[in-house]
Amino acid sequence: MKTLLFLTVLMVSFATHSAETYFCKPELETLPTQQGGRVKPLYVHASEAMKALTGKAKVGDLSAVEAYCLLSLNGMGLQSDIKLMAKIEHVDAIKHLNLPEGEHLIPYETLVGIEDDVRNEARRTDVSESYKKSMEKLFGNIHLYKEIKSGNNWMLADVQGTVLNWTALTAYLTEEKVIAQKEITPMDPFLPVMMRSKAMYEQAFGSRYMVEFYYAKMGLPSVAMLLSILALGSMVLFKNFKIALGFAGLSIVTQIALITLRVIISGRAPITNMYETVLFSGAGALLLGLILGHFKNEKIFVYMGLAYNVCTLMMVNFANGMLTATISPLVPVLRDNFWLSTHVTTIILSYGALALSWILANTVLVKRRLGKMDKKEEAYHADIIYTTLKWGTTMLAAGIILGGVWADYSWGRFWGWDPKETWSLIVLCFYMAILHGRYTSWIKNDRFMTVTAAAFLSVMMAWFGVNYILASGLHSYGFSEGGAVFLGTFFLVQIIVLIATKDYSKGKKEAEPV
Amino acid sequence: MKRLLNIDWNKVERTLGGLKFAVVIILLFSISMIIGTFLESYYGTDFANRTVYKTFAFMLIQFGMLMSIIFAAFLRLPPKKRLYGFYTIHAGLIIIGVGSMITYIAGVDGTITLAPNEPNRQVILAKDVLKFTYPEDGKQVTSELPYSAFAKNIDEDYEGIRVVEYIPFAQGKFVWTDAINTYPATLPVQSSKYFFKNPFAEQDVLLTLHPEASPEFQSSTTMGPLSFNYMPLNLASCFEQENPSGLIIWNSENGECFTPEERRIPVKETTAKNRFVVIPMGDKLVTFFPDFSPFPVDANFQVDQKSIYRSFSKKLFEEKPALFLFGEKLAYYSKADKKWLVQDIKLKGDSVSLPWMGAEITLTENESKLVPFNLPIPVVPIQKNGVLIKGDIRAVKLEIQGKEYWATNYSPLSLIISGKKVIMEVTKESLTLPFELALTQFKMDKDPGTDNPASYESFVKLFSDGKMTNHHVFMNNPMKHQGFTFYQASYSQDSGGNYSTTLAVNVDQGRFLKYLGSLMLVLGGVWHYNLNKRKKGATA
Repeated sequence: MKTLLFLTVLMVSFATHSAETYFCKPELETLPTQQGGRVKPLYVHASEAMKALTGKAKVGDLSAVEAYCLLSLNGMGLQSDIKLMAKIEHVDAIKHLNLPEGEHLIPYETLVGIEDDVRNEARRTDVSESYKKSMEKLFGNIHLYKEIKSGNNWMLADVQGTVLNWTALTAYLTEEKVIAQKEITPMDPFLPVMMRSKAMYEQAFGSRYMVEFYYAKMGLPSVAMLLSILALGSMVLFKNFKIALGFAGLSIVTQIALITLRVIISGRAPITNMYETVLFSGAGALLLGLILGHFKNEKIFVYMGLAYNVCTLMMVNFANGMLTATISPLVPVLRDNFWLSTHVTTIILSYGALALSWILANTVLVKRRLGKMDKKEEAYHADIIYTTLKWGTTMLAAGIILGGVWADYSWGRFWGWDPKETWSLIVLCFYMAILHGRYTSWIKNDRFMTVTAAAFLSVMMAWFGVNYILASGLHSYGFSEGGAVFLGTFFLVQIIVLIATKDYSKGKKEAEPV
Repeated sequence: MKRLLNIDWNKVERTLGGLKFAVVIILLFSISMIIGTFLESYYGTDFANRTVYKTFAFMLIQFGMLMSIIFAAFLRLPPKKRLYGFYTIHAGLIIIGVGSMITYIAGVDGTITLAPNEPNRQVILAKDVLKFTYPEDGKQVTSELPYSAFAKNIDEDYEGIRVVEYIPFAQGKFVWTDAINTYPATLPVQSSKYFFKNPFAEQDVLLTLHPEASPEFQSSTTMGPLSFNYMPLNLASCFEQENPSGLIIWNSENGECFTPEERRIPVKETTAKNRFVVIPMGDKLVTFFPDFSPFPVDANFQVDQKSIYRSFSKKLFEEKPALFLFGEKLAYYSKADKKWLVQDIKLKGDSVSLPWMGAEITLTENESKLVPFNLPIPVVPIQKNGVLIKGDIRAVKLEIQGKEYWATNYSPLSLIISGKKVIMEVTKESLTLPFELALTQFKMDKDPGTDNPASYESFVKLFSDGKMTNHHVFMNNPMKHQGFTFYQASYSQDSGGNYSTTLAVNVDQGRFLKYLGSLMLVLGGVWHYNLNKRKKGATA
């Protein structure tokens, strides 16, 4: 307590004006910290924590690190006027917290006072799953807020010889260290003490963790999205293929760099959560589009790749509620780089290839509806779709089998009717039915587009639906669930498109009960 | 395509090998699987297996797929060069199908649980069985139960035991039933149901002394720090006595009690200051160390749990919150009054306030002879986070000498039938390994700074042919021995903090064929779809 008092007095004495940030300076961004089982730069952890708490990395004019640091200083007894607001989305949660009409924000300070109530609500058994989940999340956030505010969330590297200890801020910043430093830099003793943790860590363990800092700072997902949009725009609006190809090339390089950096940071295949699979399938599809376009000498492949790539990059950039960019350690069963990088990569690439067919099928459907497509063009497009389907299904079959071999190798069974396994087989069956059906008189070119567009719904179900809808049971379908809403909207839009473009197929019955 | 189909094959072959049949059977297969995944999401893995994946109908669909694949290839013989990929795919699929069939018929797929340093050779398999154990003869008999999702009548007899019905997913429904056996009129077999309430929680508390009650119902229970203890009604009178020793001696066969002071029996102390009391019962002397055990000690100072006499030391229950219930009376130690209080609690009467945090209690039901029983009722199960939260009871209804009994996976039934003891329980089929395994250590690493497991590892000793070998089993690193493969599957921790490990056990004779078929399928796919220059649709 005496130490705390001393440090507090000292810090306040260095403060010169009212909006003081003490030693919470941008330099701290590069400090190593340990969170969620990994060593990462403070910039990344602070941004993730602030995003989790408020939905945004920035807090007012303060950067994430400044806000995180100031909040942590509360644990040293320094009051800051920083005010974090929780965003409440669930209708029933808003009602329960008595928020005024149209208000979604509530200060964390208020929530701390009703923490027990929030916990009790999260444990209730007579309410909807989605409400429970939103309350659980809120309770978790209150806990995080309290932990940061107590100064115990901020772990600093304390290296003694070769032994690394992670120490909470309140234990790290001792009177002894500050007084010693005051002898050297009397004007600002705090920052050097903090920065010493970085120097010590880097000396003992190197600065590999800084890759993540540069990775986070570069904002590659937005750069890639911009490039892909420019490429697609040049191609569709300005009909300038060369410029489009240039932008597409830059975009794919950016995306490969992005994926490579994630591999370096995490030390494993870049396909272990929804964020990474979406990113990977988009990049894979664009690459496939460029390769097929080059070898088959067809610009349309590049269009398909770009269009799908833009979709995935938009999701990566904007769908933060559903896809989290956080790099976390893997669950034990997935810790096998060989199988992870072969099995999951093949499956995700196959989804990318099937997505190409989905893009083109929808494009044809809409164009046809608008009367901008003749029979010959339609047949030409059907052949292109057929090519991507062949690639997609072959890869999917290979991916499923690789998964079976991995399961056999690590669990002792080739096949176990697990929902993810089963849905990937359903997808394969649907596409096999289409490929077989195209031989018969059942699926002609006109209907081929409809069934190809519809069949992609099964991919979405296997990819997202198993995690967001099936995993926790259908009853958890709620409005706070970003994934379920996304999937529901996707299904709805696709079905509307299918219905709106249906009358072209001469009133024949639907071939695919998807 | 039409021309190809119009060749003079017989009609069945043409239908089975036809693309239309293929599309129909593929869609049928897909729809069944979709239903299966949704059923699993709602009702759990086991239920989905029993209604879809492991049913005869689903097997028939898979057989239909196999037929379609075989005939489709058959129809396209003699070989044509452009169809080589197609033949490879179909041959691959057929080989996978054959491999799967071999695994299904001859394979083993089970689990073995290893507790620390306890050798085990029993592998638990998936089938439900009813196991009869005759401990006197050292005999065990198992009878297979139907693999069904819903309740099923059985009607089979085994040595005077009639197996009536099997319920694979059941939930207990509380009922009061008549006792099957008769008991002496003086034996306390009472049961009471109370409603307990405090500002944080409210709950029904059922306590019983009846030997036939469902195992969920006991004579004591706890709720947070508070313990509920149920005793024969007669004992309440002894709790009322403010005897200095605080000791009560009672007879468990008739519930009669007295205090040492009543009979002027001295309570003495050993040299180590341990209290003891010697009670003359008829022509015998019974010695209690009441602060250590409610049971008396025998001549060798061993606790005699078979004795019908019990001691009770009130002093042991004065520190922590403890409530003693006797049916229509209750007792507790009041710290404020520094003495034991005994109060009446009327059936369906007013609630009685208790001295702990505004708690109160009412007596809602009181039975002197009826048995509190959870009757298994068939339900559709519900699974959450991989665990059944409803319907986790597997129950068999039995009829023995005209009386109805239940045996479940939670409570085995133990009876004397024609002079022989029989234990009947619903369990899983098991397989005895030709060698033995023991766990020496289970290790779980955590991700640094978190509680998330990073790895599970089992260090296992294997005893086979008189030799002992050490093995290390962890994720993606199984152990192989005599055709069996052991995989790290799960773990559990007992109340003492000791870890047990669960290994998946597997024998798969179809493995080679499945791998071969898979390889052919993928290579064939690449050949057919990606290497063939001519498109099949155009040529046919």
